Amino acid sequence: MSGWDLRVEAVRYSYGDVEALRDVSLTIRSGEPVALIGKNGAGKTTLTRLLVALIRPAAGRVAVGDWNVASKRPDEMARRVGYVFQHADQQLFARSVREDVAFGPHRLGRRAAVSAVLEELALAPWADVHPYDVPAPLRKLVALAGVLAMDPGVLILDEPTAGLDRSQRDLVVAALRRRSAQGVTVLVVSHDLGFVAEIADRVVVMEGGRIAADRAARELLYDADALATLGLRPPATAEIGIALRLPGAPLRSEEVAATLRGVRWKQSAE
Amino acid sequence: MTPRVSLAGVTFTYPGADRVALRGVSLEIAAGEIVVVAGAAGAGASTLLLVATGLAPRLVGGTLAGSRTIEARRCGIVFARPWTQLTGLCSTVADEVSFGPACAGRPRAEVTELAARAMQQLGIAHLALRDPAHLSGGELQRVVVAAALALQPELLALDDPAAELDPAAADALYRMLPPLAAAGLAILLATPDIERAARVATRALVLEEGALVADGPPAVVLPATEVGVLARAAGCPAPYPLDVPALLARIAR
Repeated sequence: MSGWDLRVEAVRYSYGDVEALRDVSLTIRSGEPVALIGKNGAGKTTLTRLLVALIRPAAGRVAVGDWNVASKRPDEMARRVGYVFQHADQQLFARSVREDVAFGPHRLGRRAAVSAVLEELALAPWADVHPYDVPAPLRKLVALAGVLAMDPGVLILDEPTAGLDRSQRDLVVAALRRRSAQGVTVLVVSHDLGFVAEIADRVVVMEGGRIAADRAARELLYDADALATLGLRPPATAEIGIALRLPGAPLRSEEVAATLRGVRWKQSAE
Repeated sequence: MTPRVSLAGVTFTYPGADRVALRGVSLEIAAGEIVVVAGAAGAGASTLLLVATGLAPRLVGGTLAGSRTIEARRCGIVFARPWTQLTGLCSTVADEVSFGPACAGRPRAEVTELAARAMQQLGIAHLALRDPAHLSGGELQRVVVAAALALQPELLALDDPAAELDPAAADALYRMLPPLAAAGLAILLATPDIERAARVATRALVLEEGALVADGPPAVVLPATEVGVLARAAGCPAPYPLDVPALLARIAR
């Protein structure tokens, strides 16, 4: 499946008196893996909800490929955009994990590799379990499996790794890298810069309902000063890269591990 | 130190479940301890929090075998999914945070003071008059932690309390824990964030399929952090560094 581009033009949105988005414009190219970061309440989730027609902008225009989102319903958007909610429990409803994952493709009349997706996210042991009997962090993986099974051209994931341990997070990283390589557009909202470093080529920072920065991941995640103004620190891989002046600004953990393989290690810190 | 909660051979099964959620767990948690519970999702950490605070089986049903003594006079808990924990009865954050002590029959002036202090501690005083239904995930998570603290618990169970917080807010939340413990609170903390947990924990537990497989000092018991895993992949010998400064200190230059 190849991807679709995302275009947000001069969008505004408010919750009552609280202005959540103030004139936001953003274009994401088809196939581009982008992370959306920023403090709690910066407007990240609101922006993603606009892209799937769950809310409508008060002003401005939102498009996914050649679709004007204003003329689409959320269920129509779901054919093109796979969206995993911040609170993924809200999108699970079937009686077993397998049924839940199979629902979307079934409804679209598509044959789907449900078992393959369950394997990909290590959910096979939970296939016959009721989604609400699955541990809370894994429900996010179930929701992700559900959207991957629909083979969408765009993936929008709101905090997909919250609550996951490292091995589970690595499964999400691998699944997203695979989709990116196939040309799927990936937009991830995350506070976890370690995760962002593993999957994103570009990072968009939101602050107070506006876009505060929009830079290549290798630049922004290596820019400790810029991150500090946002109350953030570089991810561990970039911190190591900065401290050791590693060439090429390696971001992904395997890149950093490879660069470090030549160093001499002390047996202990003393 | 007096134990706040003691479990001896505790086994717990959720209603209608075929598998046991906790299997023969024995431990004591004393005032002043910050005990971090590690383990893969589904290993039983959240269940241990529910059992230790008395919410399972009382609230969730199921069957408990073995012996459990809860000495703490008040237990607070913060669920992994904070939005499930809102009262649904309060139209402002201040009311939400006041709800617990108010229901406990505290005098009005004291309730106001407890709520104000808790909101201050969590950095959400500016949200006091906002509607909880209009908050972001991270703001909500801090509201729920404040509501638990306003109850003045003797045992506080936190289920991944920083999962939805931005890094600065997560650091701030974790920094708050040692002084609370020093003031006599027993804290039981479940999280996959090994690095932050290791900075504050006085003790660590590891669960596997509901059984307690390790109980000891965090540095010994906890799995390697992200930096530790990276160091191991780059050929660094054990013990693996916890964070970047520790990794840099291990490189011979």
